Amino acid sequence: MSFNVEDIEDRDGVRLSWNVFPSSRIEATRTVVPVAALYNPLKFREDLPPVLYEPVACKPPCRAILNPYCQIDVRGKLWICPFCLQRNAFPPHYKDISNTNLPPELLPKYTTIEYTLSRPAQVPPIFLFVVDTCLDKEELKALCDGIVVSLSLIPPYALVGLITFGTMTQVHELGYAECSKSYVFRGGKEYSPKQIQDMLALSPQNRAAPRPGQPVPQNYGAARFLMPVSQCEFQLTGLLEGLQKDAWPVANDKRPLRCTGVALSVAVGLLESTFPNTGARIMLFAGGPATEGPGLVVGNELREPIRSHHDIDRDSVKHFKRSSKFYEGLAKRASTNGHVVDLFAGCLDQVGLLEMKSLPNSTNGNIVLADSFATSIFKQAFLKMFAKGDDGHLQMGLNATFDVQCTKELKVSGLIGHAVSINKKSACVGETEIGIGGTSAWKVCALMPRTALAVYFEVVTPAGQSLQPGTRGLIQFVTHYQHASGQMRLRVTTLARNFVDGTSPSLSVSFDQEAAAALMARVAVFKAEIDDSPDVLRWLDRMLIRLCQKFADYRKEDPSSFRLSDNFSIYPQFMFHLRRSQFLQVFNNSPDETAFYRHVMNEEDVNNSLIMIQPTLMSYALDQPQPQPVLLDSMSVKPDVILLLDTFFHILIFHGETIAQWRKAGYHEQEGYENLKELLSLPVADAQDLLVDRFPIPRYIVCDQHGSQARFLTSKLNPSTTHMSQGMYGTSSGGGSGAAIFTDDVSLQVFMEALKRLAVGAATQ
Amino acid sequence: QQQAAQGQGYYGGSEQYPAQQPAYGQQQPMQYPPVNQLADQFGHMGLGGQKPFALHTANLVATPPNPLELLMPPPEIRLPPGASITDSPAANADPSYMRSTINVVPTTYQLLNKSKLPFSLVLTPHRTLKSAVNSSVDDPPVPVVTDTVIARCRRCRSYINPYVTFIDGGQRWKCCLCSMSNEVPQMFDWDQARNQPGDRWSRPELTSGAVEFVAPTEYMVRPPQPLVYVFLIDVSHAAVQSGMVATATRTILESLDRIPNDDNRTRISLIAFDTALYFFSLTPGSTETSMLVVSDIDDVFLPKPNDQLVLNLTESRAAVETLLGRLQEMFQDTQIIGSALGPALQAGFQLASTTGGKLITLSASLPTLGVGALKNREDPKILGTPKESALLQAGSPFYKTFAIECSRAQVSVDMFLFAATYTDVASLSCLPHYTSGQTFFYPGFNAARSEDAIKFAHEFGIVLGSQIGLEAVIRVRASRGIHMSAFHGNFFVRSTDLLALPAVPPDQNYVIEISLEETLTTPFVVFQTAVLHTTCFGERRIRVITLALPTTSNISELYASVDQIAVATFLANKAVERTQANKLEDARDMVQKYVTDILGAYKSNMTGGGGAAAAGLAIPTNMQMFPLLALGLLKHVALRQSSQIAPDLRAYAHSLLTTLPSQTLIPYLHPSFYSLHDMPPECGTIGDAGVILPPLLPLTSERLVKHGLFVIEDGQTIFLWVGRDSVPQLIMDVFNLPNYEALRGGKYTLPILDNPFSQRVNAIIGKIREMRRGPYYPALFIVKEDGEPPMRLWALSALIQDRGDQTPSYQQWLGQLKDKLNGSSYN
Ligand SMILES: [Zn+2]
Ligand SMILES: [Zn+2]
Repeated sequence: MSFNVEDIEDRDGVRLSWNVFPSSRIEATRTVVPVAALYNPLKFREDLPPVLYEPVACKPPCRAILNPYCQIDVRGKLWICPFCLQRNAFPPHYKDISNTNLPPELLPKYTTIEYTLSRPAQVPPIFLFVVDTCLDKEELKALCDGIVVSLSLIPPYALVGLITFGTMTQVHELGYAECSKSYVFRGGKEYSPKQIQDMLALSPQNRAAPRPGQPVPQNYGAARFLMPVSQCEFQLTGLLEGLQKDAWPVANDKRPLRCTGVALSVAVGLLESTFPNTGARIMLFAGGPATEGPGLVVGNELREPIRSHHDIDRDSVKHFKRSSKFYEGLAKRASTNGHVVDLFAGCLDQVGLLEMKSLPNSTNGNIVLADSFATSIFKQAFLKMFAKGDDGHLQMGLNATFDVQCTKELKVSGLIGHAVSINKKSACVGETEIGIGGTSAWKVCALMPRTALAVYFEVVTPAGQSLQPGTRGLIQFVTHYQHASGQMRLRVTTLARNFVDGTSPSLSVSFDQEAAAALMARVAVFKAEIDDSPDVLRWLDRMLIRLCQKFADYRKEDPSSFRLSDNFSIYPQFMFHLRRSQFLQVFNNSPDETAFYRHVMNEEDVNNSLIMIQPTLMSYALDQPQPQPVLLDSMSVKPDVILLLDTFFHILIFHGETIAQWRKAGYHEQEGYENLKELLSLPVADAQDLLVDRFPIPRYIVCDQHGSQARFLTSKLNPSTTHMSQGMYGTSSGGGSGAAIFTDDVSLQVFMEALKRLAVGAATQ
Repeated sequence: QQQAAQGQGYYGGSEQYPAQQPAYGQQQPMQYPPVNQLADQFGHMGLGGQKPFALHTANLVATPPNPLELLMPPPEIRLPPGASITDSPAANADPSYMRSTINVVPTTYQLLNKSKLPFSLVLTPHRTLKSAVNSSVDDPPVPVVTDTVIARCRRCRSYINPYVTFIDGGQRWKCCLCSMSNEVPQMFDWDQARNQPGDRWSRPELTSGAVEFVAPTEYMVRPPQPLVYVFLIDVSHAAVQSGMVATATRTILESLDRIPNDDNRTRISLIAFDTALYFFSLTPGSTETSMLVVSDIDDVFLPKPNDQLVLNLTESRAAVETLLGRLQEMFQDTQIIGSALGPALQAGFQLASTTGGKLITLSASLPTLGVGALKNREDPKILGTPKESALLQAGSPFYKTFAIECSRAQVSVDMFLFAATYTDVASLSCLPHYTSGQTFFYPGFNAARSEDAIKFAHEFGIVLGSQIGLEAVIRVRASRGIHMSAFHGNFFVRSTDLLALPAVPPDQNYVIEISLEETLTTPFVVFQTAVLHTTCFGERRIRVITLALPTTSNISELYASVDQIAVATFLANKAVERTQANKLEDARDMVQKYVTDILGAYKSNMTGGGGAAAAGLAIPTNMQMFPLLALGLLKHVALRQSSQIAPDLRAYAHSLLTTLPSQTLIPYLHPSFYSLHDMPPECGTIGDAGVILPPLLPLTSERLVKHGLFVIEDGQTIFLWVGRDSVPQLIMDVFNLPNYEALRGGKYTLPILDNPFSQRVNAIIGKIREMRRGPYYPALFIVKEDGEPPMRLWALSALIQDRGDQTPSYQQWLGQLKDKLNGSSYN
């Protein structure tokens, strides 16, 4: 059996760690990397037919959706559900079904299909801007200009609202014609949802009964705060353009009071009481950390520094736990209602993303960290959110629920991605938990085309029993979401894979090492969020060693005999780079950056994940016609080349010493040096290509060898040319577990040597 | 009808009006000779030195009350010669600033007690300057000492005044209150304006009993505050629907030029409220407004820094005008019911407390939310029962505690109350009471009725335009042996005798009870009221009112010196105090007891008791009107035994009784009653003292005739009583209507028609509206003789000599008094 994983990915938006499944629980354990899928629910597929009818579902409690793997009886107008084996009658309008007249959902090519559901009330998407006003005049202007531009990109029927905050939080009433009007909330106070609802007069209390025959006035309820763009664009633009810096004075030794927590709680409170269970985005624009009220990240005294990883490590942080708990509470409420929280930071320092991360993490909000709202990183990233697809609609699904159904030999262990459990305790929920477990359905508040959810499975067979070879395991992903058009849609992807004996070569052949690396990276990051990172590194090493022990060819205790087959060959490299990546080695970054990197990791598909784990490096030289991919290794740095590094978060053009000198001398501007000019321009063009689809927008760096910016490159390179004493490896531990053998700065070569020794069970020296 | 304007009656109809009783014959507003002229006359009587009072006794039973007596000045103050160093006629201030219930002071407490006379001072230190009712002479302004040379006694801290004496060749002065010898300040005799030696004897503080010093910085704990007005405007459904919001904002808008702002420092702010608070942040120089809604009424806070909410009126004039012009529109569709008045007040306090200022509150419903929320306590079942009194006391402690907090921060609260139903005036008037503000009440206000809108706009406009004082304290000092024992009026007693007034509205009355604690040995004693305040143009000043009164050990002199107007003013204040501390019936009993005690004491002290005098009721002639005034008080809506009086009306009456200056208070107790249809031809035309009013009639319905047109007014309300047989010509001339039947009763705007009678009637109504001190604009009601009973009864209740529902006629009451006196206790 051979699989073209790219084809499968194109068709179903899915990459599996294993494309056949081990046939017993014990064998599945031995294969180390769990059966898992990285699934893109909104994967764009040009050839999908419009399906404008309701899907046919199996009887409750199964509710699996009719799919090409169902057995059908055209004569009896019956179908047998492959998940529960129940027989179901086709609905009456399927009466003309025949082997030659099958609806698309039964055609083999539509293992992925999308239904457009008929729902009478279509709800437009909602965008609630939450704007920090503790900004310099220019910053505030740049930010507001950006938001004003977005108004022209948001569909006219979408609802928008504005909350501003500083010392206090203001909710702006958009439908009010007499003057600008806003509801003000104290910055230092925690408001209950009921209070927020009452204070915004969202419930019709305390009102005179309208006189008979008089229309009920429209001046209350949510309509005052959230209005269609088409109706309020003028007013909102005026408001944004007139927005003033927070009016309260700030002493020289103080940070401005910034009640980000209250602003968010009011935003969440406004939406949850007016548009529960409806797609909406709360877009927070923060120019600094919360310094006031619930969710405070740092006090407003400047002499109090904002926390670092070291402070957190030493447990010497004042606000961190309480603040995180506050935002977690908000995240729970927002995610329960399908509301997304996006976070845009325009600040050279941290804004408290670490504390707030549960909001974007639980709701699949976007995070953009920019030094300023005037940067293109912010502007482009922000506006990119409103990019439209070929159908003219925003490329975002909202308020999604993601259901997993599988045949009985498989159980769902959990999901890792920006989702929350909806506690669906169906029969396919497994005992082992990986990620967000204990359920077979999750709420995903936002789906971007690139959104990838990692789903982990376990194989369950009665003790000591294996499945018959040839048994097929089925997995169905059902994603119900609000399309940007307001339609409700249902995407169904059904996968079928065979079970094979654990010793079967087809098992190892079916290993997708790239998908596996991405899936294991998510598990590692998930663990790192909970555990100490040394524990996670030890776990990762252990898993790698065990995988190699199981699937490599070697003679016991002979490291030199160690061979890995092609589809395992680069997996150790990925693990090498992962364990030294910023996802797991946090101390070179701020806590906010760590939260950001981990967030993005949990969002992206296999290819992007791999770039993050192991950045790509291209080399450009005069004597080679095409750029060459080169090893992410210090050996690749040469004076006469240009390197293009893509770490996903940074795109860096590095000029070798000689090239840099030529460039400085301006040779490329002179006649006769056209080839140099072209050489210089090639990586720039390629970098632009990379930037086009990337979200968030990477930092773009151009540097020269020995320049200060070059550290962004060198920190990523395998330090093969540094001397590391061989004696350092394997000396500290008693071996066996492979724990703590690798120090941070080992080279890949050293790492591989150690791996081989440990895998083959060679004695350590 | 021109020819009718001849003879004594204009609209006499068929029935000839009987000749008036001699007592009231040819009543003209009496022109009293000025006080010093009187003194001269007495001087010629050859008595020399201190002239004793001649006591005249009248028999109340035989002497019908003469309303004209109420216009007479108090008994003359006859000080020993040389009491005043400058012998200036103005050495004692005009009684309208400060008067005493007795114009001689008994030397002992025993004597005072024996007389049963109350001893109190009645103060209106910041009365307005107006032409007096019965004089064509305008009030002279209070002279100002501008050189900041202020001579004060080292011991008792009193201010130098016309009754001190200079000793040591004029180097020192001896305090007339405590006899302390003090140095004359260095610059006292220096004319700083001309930079040359000045004339000590022309210094106002030595010639004038009412004087104002410009205070140097020692009198300031901070620079003089600017005038800060924070308007708190109810914008709930009821407030908007009644037209209050529109009228209020229009009035403020029209009054912007009259709000004192000479120094361009005046600041204003506006908070609208219903169940939430609406702040307005304005941008100086622009007309942009942003409304900030604070719904967190349990924890009120300012949504913007103070300086963005409280704006300099001059700099932000355009923005303020725009806001006022649009406020009504902003809330015109509101459906919100409920009032967070307490939180609005707290917000206003936060705005004003840094500077001090005034919270001008306009409320159209019972406060229902947040701090200070009140319950509808009005229960018809308990009206007229002893439980009723509880409704006249504050229903929530907030209104007192908050008021005291305001007082400390120099914040004063004015209350303009407009409810269609119960609004708990008793509770809400606490705020003005303790913060030296004012309460105004417009029951059933409906701006669609122009009379309502005009009355409110007029009174509100006057309040806005008033030259108020700010951050004031009042202290009254007196000669040794005399103590201030109780205080009545709108202020907070900060320490034993220091009255704190965050604002000093003009024409507010204060009553101070006096006790004698030592035997007085001096021939005269001195009372001095000092009001330290900031003017509304930013100057710190001290207004000093000095009153010297002779002492006596002779009880008849004591009786002869009684100022019945001051006594009635005192009694009104005391009765309200008693109502609020105890019960209505206790207050009525107290009033009754004062009258009986005084009459009884007079009888036993002056007539030897019993005997021939027992046949009548003896009283000093200068107190002849006092029993009727007391009866007026007992019959007043404030005190009357009745189960029909809404507690809000009673509470408002209490507020008026304790704040109106005597000049306005007396007609409130004893209304003025005029006959128009037969008034003398000069009435309603302009005389020496302005429009000539018709003769005052005694307050009895016997004077009403079926064809007549009458006015009964008490300074708050004007009734135009139309007899059922009024001739069509009168109806046509006054109302422009064909006949009596076409006339409707109720609130009315009298047309000004092209006939002399209409113009004269309008002139008289106009005169009534402007002749007294205070901002009140009495509403005019047409009362038809056979009209709606409640309206008739209301008007007739003003005729206090008549018998009322549960109250005796004047004659009956005198009979009761006499019986009581002839009973056991007064033998
Ligand atoms: Zn089924
Ligand atoms: Zn003294």
